[in-house]
Amino acid sequence: MKFIDLHHDQWHQVLGEDGPVVHPDAHAQQLLSLEQWHAVRDSWPEGLAVGVQLSNDFDVEALADDLPRLSLITLNFPKWVDGRAYTQARLLRVRYRFTGEIRAVGEVLVDMLPLLARTGFDAVQLRADQSVEAAKRALRFFPGHYQGDASEPRPHFAQAASKAQP
Amino acid sequence: MYAYTDFDRQFVRARAAQFRDQLERNLAGTLTDDEFRPLRLQNGWYVQRHAPMLRVAVPYGVLSSRQMRQLARIAREFDRGYGHFTTRQNLQYNWIPLPQAADVMDLLADVDMHGIQTSGNCIRNITSDVTAGVAPDEVVDPRPYAEVLRQWSTLHPEFAFLPRKFKIAISGAREDRAAIAWHDIGLQLLKNGAGEVGFKVLVGGGMGRTPIIGTVITEFLPWQQILVYIEAIVRVYNRYGRRDNMYKARIKILVKAEGQAFVDAVNEEFAKILNDDPAGHEHLIPQAELDRVAASFTVPAGVAATTASNIFAGVGEGAYKLWLERNVHGHRLSGYRSVTLSLKRVGLAPGDATDAQMDAAAQLSDQFSHGELRVSHDQNLLLPWVRESDLPALFEAARSNGFATPNIGLLTDMIACPGGDFCALANARSIPIAAEITERFQDLDELYDIGDIDLHISGCINSCGHHHSGHIGILGVDKDGKEWYQVSLGGSDGSVLSGQAVPGKVIGPSFAADEVGDVIESVVRTYREQRSSASERFIDTVRRVGIDAFKTAAHAVRSSTAQA
Repeated sequence: MKFIDLHHDQWHQVLGEDGPVVHPDAHAQQLLSLEQWHAVRDSWPEGLAVGVQLSNDFDVEALADDLPRLSLITLNFPKWVDGRAYTQARLLRVRYRFTGEIRAVGEVLVDMLPLLARTGFDAVQLRADQSVEAAKRALRFFPGHYQGDASEPRPHFAQAASKAQP
Repeated sequence: MYAYTDFDRQFVRARAAQFRDQLERNLAGTLTDDEFRPLRLQNGWYVQRHAPMLRVAVPYGVLSSRQMRQLARIAREFDRGYGHFTTRQNLQYNWIPLPQAADVMDLLADVDMHGIQTSGNCIRNITSDVTAGVAPDEVVDPRPYAEVLRQWSTLHPEFAFLPRKFKIAISGAREDRAAIAWHDIGLQLLKNGAGEVGFKVLVGGGMGRTPIIGTVITEFLPWQQILVYIEAIVRVYNRYGRRDNMYKARIKILVKAEGQAFVDAVNEEFAKILNDDPAGHEHLIPQAELDRVAASFTVPAGVAATTASNIFAGVGEGAYKLWLERNVHGHRLSGYRSVTLSLKRVGLAPGDATDAQMDAAAQLSDQFSHGELRVSHDQNLLLPWVRESDLPALFEAARSNGFATPNIGLLTDMIACPGGDFCALANARSIPIAAEITERFQDLDELYDIGDIDLHISGCINSCGHHHSGHIGILGVDKDGKEWYQVSLGGSDGSVLSGQAVPGKVIGPSFAADEVGDVIESVVRTYREQRSSASERFIDTVRRVGIDAFKTAAHAVRSSTAQA
């Protein structure tokens, strides 16, 4: 899990004086809103690193065709107890095989880490008051899990069965 | 019962360690109370009127005597010497100070117990038929499936923060003793024409402000696919369930609003998991895994069918005969019975047991039931493996421990939530109402004459006392800061006995607390006047004659609300 320090983050939103620039120029490491991405996707240069920010009510299926062109997707937790982004991450990572970075943003707290790691997030931008040390500890409690997840797709019974075989 | 593996044990210990870390951060001030709340809820810790409440999971209601003794010990050493068994087959403590919470979780882990997902907006502890595995009308034993589901739903990372709580119940008998149609997902195990096992799946049932009976979404799903199918249902719910209004956030509202579109979305998601997800098929349950789990649910060593006896032979009129009639039930093995230990008697709230009673129940189960106990949806305990020849001795032992009230299924065998005496959500108290009705109906002849009747009492619209499904339902409401009670008639939990699941109908404006006893008496009196014969049960009379006669009778005994 990568912990994002906003002061040293290489990704930048493209904001003008009145909010997001409608049609951003093509530069590397830009983190675009979905609207910005839609505006530039047809002209965006092949291979130029780009990220997209998604809201948690967005149907990720609609972005499936664009995924190979994206390096970063941020998924938002407007409130930490709103669990929709876990499903978005799970679908992006498992069903649509997204290989870029999936970053949790918004109200991201220490105790969400095990859930984030298991649904396919590989980066988190913790809320400013949260302890990275406690977050790392939160990832270490369990010996394994019953159901499969984004990093270990097999449930515990399937893992145990394969271990039991000679 | 299910035998924990090393992994299961490590897992529960890990959960206790994780909780201790969270509690310590909370006590140190680095985890705020607001942010600790959802975390402690998912371990069963509420903060109630007087102190935190701990809800301990009793998965599908099965307990060992060793576990029961540990529950007694916790009641004695950490609480005020008692606990409350709930309609969802769990156990609640009311007086444990939060700083001791982590120590209690360690003690629970010592006996393979926990409070995982007994609260919070997640998949809750799964409930089942109290007589699972021993009922004579059982088609398929639900316990192995309930355990596989318990494991799958435990700390599911995607479904820990759903729009609202999510309850699953599973039944494998002809008679539905788990009220499955009242659950977010109800599962009925059955066999098809070819003898293959599968599930009828209901979705979108629930009580609360908007009582709704579950809709059948699949008539027959092969058992191997149940985890995948439930994953599909819960994923659709997590994505599209309402989060703007907590009163409209249960899956029942989504199912109602979307209708066929919901069903289509679930079926499409189900197909995508199996066809598109690289490891989607990994959650199809292999026969070997079902067999591994089912091996824990065999008949206990030393139990085998023997010649059945006539348990009433030579038994004269009296307490023992009444107990045999009401508290002793049929069994799938001849020569055996299951026996209810009644937790409904004068002086204790329905479902409450003292630490001494918990120890006594553990002792009875060791002596008469191979160390196994069950917690029932009706808030009683049950011994599942009792030899017919042991019944007289069990009766004496049960009687001396206060478990032998011969009232199972009768009016005083009522369901009640803890209500306003304990619960911070309640609008009104349940326990004094339950106590008053219990005291008024102490005449056993009268109780028997009234016969089978489900009386359910909830202290608020959250419906923990299942008032919607009671033949008589009592709901506590709050008006101008005072306690009032709405009475409804004709509800059903969905059993063959009670008829298709349906919410009861309210009989007029709320009653004052001091009127409720008279109202219940008048309703019962009306039934006895109106019934076509002594064998017509209360619920059938209500259905036949309608609620008007009852309404009139109840209205006539109004005192303080007479002018209203």
